[in-house]
Amino acid sequence: MTILAILLPLALLISCGFVAAYLWATSKGQYDDLETPAHRIFLEDELERTKR
Amino acid sequence: MSARSVSQEETRKKRLVVTYSRSKPHSKLETAFCTHCGKEVLDRVDIRETSPVFCCLGCKTVYQFLQSSGLSRFYQLKQNNDRQIQPGGGDAIEYRYLDDSVFREKYARGLEDPQIDFFVEGVHCAACIWLIEKLPEIVPDVKEAKLDLGKSVASIKVAPGGSFAKAAEKLAWLGYRPHPIESDEKASELQNAENRSWLMRIGVAAACSGNIMLLAVALYAGLAGDLARYFRYLSLALFLPVLFYSAAPFYKNAIASLRSRTLSIDVPVILAIVLGAVVSAFNLRNETDHIYFDSISALVFLLLSSRYVLRRIQQRNLGGSHLYHFLLPSKAKRLDVKAAAIVEVNTAALLPGDLVEVGPGDVIPVDGTVQSGTSAINSSLLTGESSPHRVCPGSQVYSGTLNESDVLQIKVTALGRQTRLGRILKQIEEGGLKKAPIVIAADRVSKWFLAAVFVGAAIVFGLGADFSDGINRALALIIVTCPCALALATPLAMSLSLKKAARAGILINGAEILEKVARVKNVVLDKTGTLTYGKFEVLEWKETSHLHREIADIVVALEEQSKHPVAKSLVQFLKTRGSGTSLPVASFKEEIGVGVSGLVNGQFYEVRSLKEIDRTNTASVGTRIGVYCETKLIATALLGDKIRVDAKTTIDELNRFRLNSFILSGDDPEVVRNVGETIGIATNRHFSVATPEYKSRFVKNHEPCLMAGDGANDALALSSAYVGVAVHGSMDVSLRAADVYIAHPGVRYIEKLVVISKETMSLIHRNFAFSLAYNLVGGVTAASGHMTPLLAALLMPVSAFTVFGSTLIGTRKLREALRERGGK
Repeated sequence: MTILAILLPLALLISCGFVAAYLWATSKGQYDDLETPAHRIFLEDELERTKR
Repeated sequence: MSARSVSQEETRKKRLVVTYSRSKPHSKLETAFCTHCGKEVLDRVDIRETSPVFCCLGCKTVYQFLQSSGLSRFYQLKQNNDRQIQPGGGDAIEYRYLDDSVFREKYARGLEDPQIDFFVEGVHCAACIWLIEKLPEIVPDVKEAKLDLGKSVASIKVAPGGSFAKAAEKLAWLGYRPHPIESDEKASELQNAENRSWLMRIGVAAACSGNIMLLAVALYAGLAGDLARYFRYLSLALFLPVLFYSAAPFYKNAIASLRSRTLSIDVPVILAIVLGAVVSAFNLRNETDHIYFDSISALVFLLLSSRYVLRRIQQRNLGGSHLYHFLLPSKAKRLDVKAAAIVEVNTAALLPGDLVEVGPGDVIPVDGTVQSGTSAINSSLLTGESSPHRVCPGSQVYSGTLNESDVLQIKVTALGRQTRLGRILKQIEEGGLKKAPIVIAADRVSKWFLAAVFVGAAIVFGLGADFSDGINRALALIIVTCPCALALATPLAMSLSLKKAARAGILINGAEILEKVARVKNVVLDKTGTLTYGKFEVLEWKETSHLHREIADIVVALEEQSKHPVAKSLVQFLKTRGSGTSLPVASFKEEIGVGVSGLVNGQFYEVRSLKEIDRTNTASVGTRIGVYCETKLIATALLGDKIRVDAKTTIDELNRFRLNSFILSGDDPEVVRNVGETIGIATNRHFSVATPEYKSRFVKNHEPCLMAGDGANDALALSSAYVGVAVHGSMDVSLRAADVYIAHPGVRYIEKLVVISKETMSLIHRNFAFSLAYNLVGGVTAASGHMTPLLAALLMPVSAFTVFGSTLIGTRKLREALRERGGK
C-alpha cells in the first residue's frame, strides 16, 4: 500500500494540470459564449468547401 | 433516436433560436408563407407551389440578391424555422453618422482595424450567424464580422479608412437592423471577468471536493495508521483552495450583510465552513476521526453552482441596458434658414428653436410644434391609440411618434431628456431602482431560522458536559440544521421554473418576480398589441354590387396614389388577394380626412370614409370606408385592429383562477368596449383614453396587479405595476420597464405565467415544510447529544438530495402542466 504515497501525489499532480488547463481556458474567455460556436461548427465545413 | 429524445432535441433547438414557434393556421388553400421571411401572405387564392411567394418587394429583392451572390444556402440553414426576418429599408444616409469622426471616437475601438459592436435585431439561428459572418464577402472593406447569438451582438471590423455605414446599411437591408453600442468596455468586461471568476471558483471547488471525497471513502472504510494520517493531511491540502479561493464570494456577502445588520443566508454558510474547518483542523492535530473537509467542500461547490446558475439567468433575461438609445433616430434633418438648405446632423447637435424636417415614415426625434405641413401622426408609442391622427401647423408633436404620410417642418421645443418620452423613461429608471432589492422567500424564513439556530447552538454549547462535548453538540446542530435544504431548494426550484418558463417563451427577470406573480389579484391588459394584433388591418371587405368586376383593381389604382395609412392597408390587403392590374387614373384628387377620388375607365370613383346615410351599424369598431361609383355605393371595407384568437380563452382561464381582468387602453371608448365585450370582460372593467400617467396610477390603485402591455405608453405602468409583463413585439422601453417578457405572440402566455408561478410556489412551500420538519428533528437530536458532527455532515447532503429530488420531480410535473394547457 505504500505505493499510494507516490501514486496519490502523482494523480493529484495530473489533476492539477487539468485544473490549470480549465482555469486557463476560462480566463481566455472560452466559456463566455456557449451558444454561437455550437451553431458555427456546422458552418465551418461549408466555408472550407467554397474556398477550395 | 427515440421519440422522447427527438422532442427533447427539438426543445433544445427551439430554445437556442430564441423560440418563435406558434400555431399557424394551416388552411393551405388560402395561406402561403413568404419564401424569404416566412411571414404569412394572407388570403392568396392562387398559389403556384413551384414559384416562390413573397410578402413584399423587400423580401423579393433580398431573395434575388442572395441567389445571385451564391448565398442561397441561407435558406437551407434557415428551414424548419419560422422566425420572421423583415428586410428593412435602410439607406446609406441613415447610417452615414457611423463614419463621423466624433462618433467613431466614442464608439469604435482598436486603432489598426476599428471595430464597432452592433446590437442587431432579428438574429435567431444558424442561418443568421452564417449570413452576418459572410459580411466581409458582401461588403468591401469589412475585415471581420462576428456574431454573438446569445447577446444579439455583432462585432464588425473594417479596414482602416473603411466605412461602417456601408456595412450597417447592408445589415439593415438584409433585415438585421443594427444599433451601434457605445463601447462601454469597462462594464461588459467587468461582468465577463466576474462570470469567469465564478466559473473558476466552481471548477476548483469541484476538482478539490471530488478528490477529497475519494480520500474520504478510504477513511470511512476504516483506513488506519500512518496512511490514514497521510490521507487526512492530503484532504486538508485539497481543502485549502476551497476555503480560501472558492468560498471567497460567501465571505464577501456575509461580511456585507453583517455590516448592514441583517442575517443573510451566507452568514451560517460561512459559520459552518469556518467552524467546520477549525474543528476539523483541531481534530486532525489530535488524531481523532472527525474531519469534515469532504462535506464542507461539497457544500461550497453545490452552493456556488446554484448561485452561478441563478446569476446567469438574471443576466441573460432582461439586461439590455443599451436599448435606451434605439428609440429615437440619432440623426435629424436640420433646416438651415440662412443657407436655405437642409443639413443632416446628429440629434444631439440640435438646439431648442431649430427647425427640423421629418419625412414620411420617419420617427419624430424631438418635441416641438409643427411649423408647416400637414400629416398623419401615429402616436401609439405614447398614447396607445392605434389609428393615426392629423396634425397641422401649430399642432404639438412629441418625440418617438411616427410621421406617417407627409413632410413636416417642426420647431424644436424640447430635446432628449426634456421630452415627454424622455421624462417617462426617466421615471421608469427610477422605478427600476426602487424595486430591485426584494428579499426572496427563503431568506425571509431562514433569517428567523438562523437566529434560532445560533441561539440554540450557544445554549447547547453552554449545556455541554465539557468543552469537547459542547463543541461537538453545537457543531452537529449547526451542520445538521444548516439551512442548505432551504438555501438550495428555493433557488433550484426557482431557476428550474424560470428555465421551463423560458423554454415556453416566457422570460422572467429573476426569481422574486416569479414569486410575486403568484400573489397577483388583478390582471390589467393593454388593448393595442396585447389583446389585439396591434396592426391597422382590413377586417372586412364587402362588394355590395356585382356589376363592377374590377372594383378591387380600381380601388388599388386610386389608393396607390395616396400615402394615407388607410390607403396603404387597403392596397396591401387587395394586392395579396390577387388584385393589382394597373389601371390609368385621371384627375386624381385627395381630400385629407375624407378620401380619394378620380376617373377610371371614364367613370368617377370615390374611395372615402363611409357616408352618414350608408352607416347601418352605428357602433363601429374601426374605420369604415366606402367605394362609390358616381355616388352609388359599390363596396365597403372595415379597417381596424384584429382581436387575438386566444384572448377569450385566456380571460376565461384567468377568471377560473379568480383573477380580475381589466382592459386599460389609450384608445377610444367604443373600440375598447367592443373588444372587451367580445372577449368577456365586464363593461365596468373597461378603461379607455388612458394616458401613460393614468395607467400608472391605475395599476398602483389595484395592487397586487399584473400589467401586460407592449408600447412605450405602457412602460410607466409596467414599471409601477406589481408585475409588469411586456408582450411579444413590445417597444424597447416597455421591455426595459417590464419584469417579464413574452417571446411569443399571444395572450395565453399570461395565463401560463400564472400557472408556472402558482405551481412553483406550492412546490417551494412543500420543500419548506420538509426542510423545517427535517431541521426540527435533526436539531433536537443534535442538541440532545445523540448526533455526532460526522453523522450530521452525512445527513446534510441526504436532506439536500431529498429536496433536490422533490424539486426535480415537481418541476417535471410543471412541464407536463404547461404542455397540456398550451398544447393548442
